[in-house]
Amino acid sequence: MADAAVHAHDHAKPDFFTRWFCSTNHKDIGILYLITAGVVGLISVAFTMYMRLELMEPGVQYMTFEDGTPNGHIWNVMVTAHGVLMMFFVVIPALFGGFGNYFMPLQIGAPDMAFPRLNNLSYWLFTAGSTLAILSVFVPGGNGQMGSGIGWVLYAPLSTREDGMSTDFAIFAVHLSGASSILGAINIITTFLNMRAPGMSMMKVPLFAWSIFITAFMILLALPVLAGAITMLLTDRNFGTAFFDPAQGGDPGLYQHILWFFGHPEVYILIVPAFGIISHVISTFSKKPIFGYTGMVFAMVGIAVLGFVVWAHHMYTVGMSKNAQAYFMLATMVIAVPTGIKIFSWIATMWGGVLDLRTPMLWAIGFLFLFTVGGVTGIVLSQAGIDRAYHDTYYVVAHFHYVMSLGAVFGIFCGIYYWIGKMSGRQYPELYGKIHFWSMFIGANITFFPQHFLGRQGMPRRYIDYPEAFALWNYVSTIGAFISMASFLFFLYVIYYTLTKGEKVTEPNYWDDDLGTLEWTLPNPPPEHTFETLPKREEWDKQPAH
Amino acid sequence: MRDVQDTAAGVDAPAAGLWADRGDAPAYAAELCPNRSLSRRGQRRFVWLLAGSFCVPLLPLVATPVIWIPMAFAALAVGFMAWALGRNSADAMLVERIAVWPDEMRVERIEPSGRVLRWSADPYFVRLTLHADARPEQYLTLRGGGREIELGAFLSPDERVRLAGEIEAAIRRALPRFEPAPR
Repeated sequence: MADAAVHAHDHAKPDFFTRWFCSTNHKDIGILYLITAGVVGLISVAFTMYMRLELMEPGVQYMTFEDGTPNGHIWNVMVTAHGVLMMFFVVIPALFGGFGNYFMPLQIGAPDMAFPRLNNLSYWLFTAGSTLAILSVFVPGGNGQMGSGIGWVLYAPLSTREDGMSTDFAIFAVHLSGASSILGAINIITTFLNMRAPGMSMMKVPLFAWSIFITAFMILLALPVLAGAITMLLTDRNFGTAFFDPAQGGDPGLYQHILWFFGHPEVYILIVPAFGIISHVISTFSKKPIFGYTGMVFAMVGIAVLGFVVWAHHMYTVGMSKNAQAYFMLATMVIAVPTGIKIFSWIATMWGGVLDLRTPMLWAIGFLFLFTVGGVTGIVLSQAGIDRAYHDTYYVVAHFHYVMSLGAVFGIFCGIYYWIGKMSGRQYPELYGKIHFWSMFIGANITFFPQHFLGRQGMPRRYIDYPEAFALWNYVSTIGAFISMASFLFFLYVIYYTLTKGEKVTEPNYWDDDLGTLEWTLPNPPPEHTFETLPKREEWDKQPAH
Repeated sequence: MRDVQDTAAGVDAPAAGLWADRGDAPAYAAELCPNRSLSRRGQRRFVWLLAGSFCVPLLPLVATPVIWIPMAFAALAVGFMAWALGRNSADAMLVERIAVWPDEMRVERIEPSGRVLRWSADPYFVRLTLHADARPEQYLTLRGGGREIELGAFLSPDERVRLAGEIEAAIRRALPRFEPAPR
């Protein structure tokens, strides 16, 4: 028999090493994900600054051999590393690993993740993968130089013929990231499905928790397929198989199909958690319940489902039949419907609300505007005919950066400002938050909006140099990148300032949100163990839509 | 974590076999088990949904050599998901059974490992305590038979308060009433 008082003791406080290196606590692991993603993000952004510096003026100024001749391999390595790091090691870990780990269990009233040790394993696999990905830049690769310049998509046969071990490092890095994400997804799905507070039926779950669950399902469906594809790349490279080698009967087009079956849902894997954060922030700072809760849930489900059946719109020019192109074109356009439901529901939430334009709300409104711009250019690109002109131009670069750089990343910043008081017990200075927002908003727009013009002028992507005709907008774009970088460095200072000198917040519900979710019932920061006994229904069942 | 099945006085106790050494039905019996928000059926449906979804990328690859490796990874993912849901539910297979007779009160706890722990005491001497300020809140303990045991630590505080009231009433009901002798 369980003798009394076994639960009534205070848990011993773990030492620094145990807490941060052996942690099985979902909150600590969430913070670890956020910090690691931030560090990898800084490295990845540094690579892009190098690239934008090179593109500032026509001619090759910085990426050269010692004799001054252009060294395109460096450019290709930078493009590859930036893509691999951002796609696998920055945005997913921050939104899904960081916020998902920290807040999803809190919002559903679970004491921790279903498998805390598996959670720890996921984090360290991610860290090992990040290390391999960064190392891939510095180990022997193609063209007798360091690093591999094959693009983040690792297209065969380029990736199967690149010399050196760098490509293998990159493939293993993606493998480890995939294993980490799959384990994390299984953990999150089990927690979400099996450990919700009593009475919290699926249609009463907060939207952020829903977004994390949907993301987990997409990861679980997409990443094993990617793992299969890159395993075949490895065997093609190292064991003499020819899955993707046309000379021996293989099919490189098939690699593209498998890659994009993962690659397109990946876009939604990146953005759906941001949808969840934005929903909470807009509701909190409009002092209104979210408009159309049910519609918002099914819109996310719809986006996830449709996201899996539109992959070949990335491949209109590979030689598909007209019927296949017509299908992928129509299916892609249909995604605008659930996305539109979300955008209009957010606007309807704000409509008639008492808007409080504090920093998280600014990021949320910024997200709304910029994600809409990225979405609209996505509709343009979904047309197979128009895509013939825009394919592999800077128009595409502008489009996906508006969705991801300005969409998902704005979602990350939004979440940080919304929850940093909860996570750290200290609040950021409002003025600093606003300076960060406006500088990033202006800088990122100056960086990426002109790239639409460059794309329409016909400037191709993935090139180290360009003719004089493209000089003006490249110069403007680089100025924007400098502003964005300065803004990012300022953000790091804001975080440092907040954690060391920020005003302490003792009020659990510091945004004064009457409709708040369960994390707002906890102290700042929450204790090591939360919801050891289940939360009361009145603590979470506040949305009138329930 | 609920599922408090309160069988009113006179109703057969759940899993009566565990009380096999007593032939009489208890005056009060309840069974407590931790909450799991997804049923076994729901788990099976979810795993089938996941397995079915893998048809989208795998069916076009049928009859190509490329299918085998993605299929192996897909099978691993589905298998691990099914294991995880099952394991998580198995971890919650904790049952506490309470039964009150006029001359005995018993609590049986069956842990996920299958280990059975038993406690019994004379209800007349049992002391039921709700520790309002304890951690966890409304921690419920039973003292008797030389030991103090916890009850329903996995329930929500509200449920423990309700359970304490029920047990108290059941003990009052079960104990023989003092009838003054007729003059």
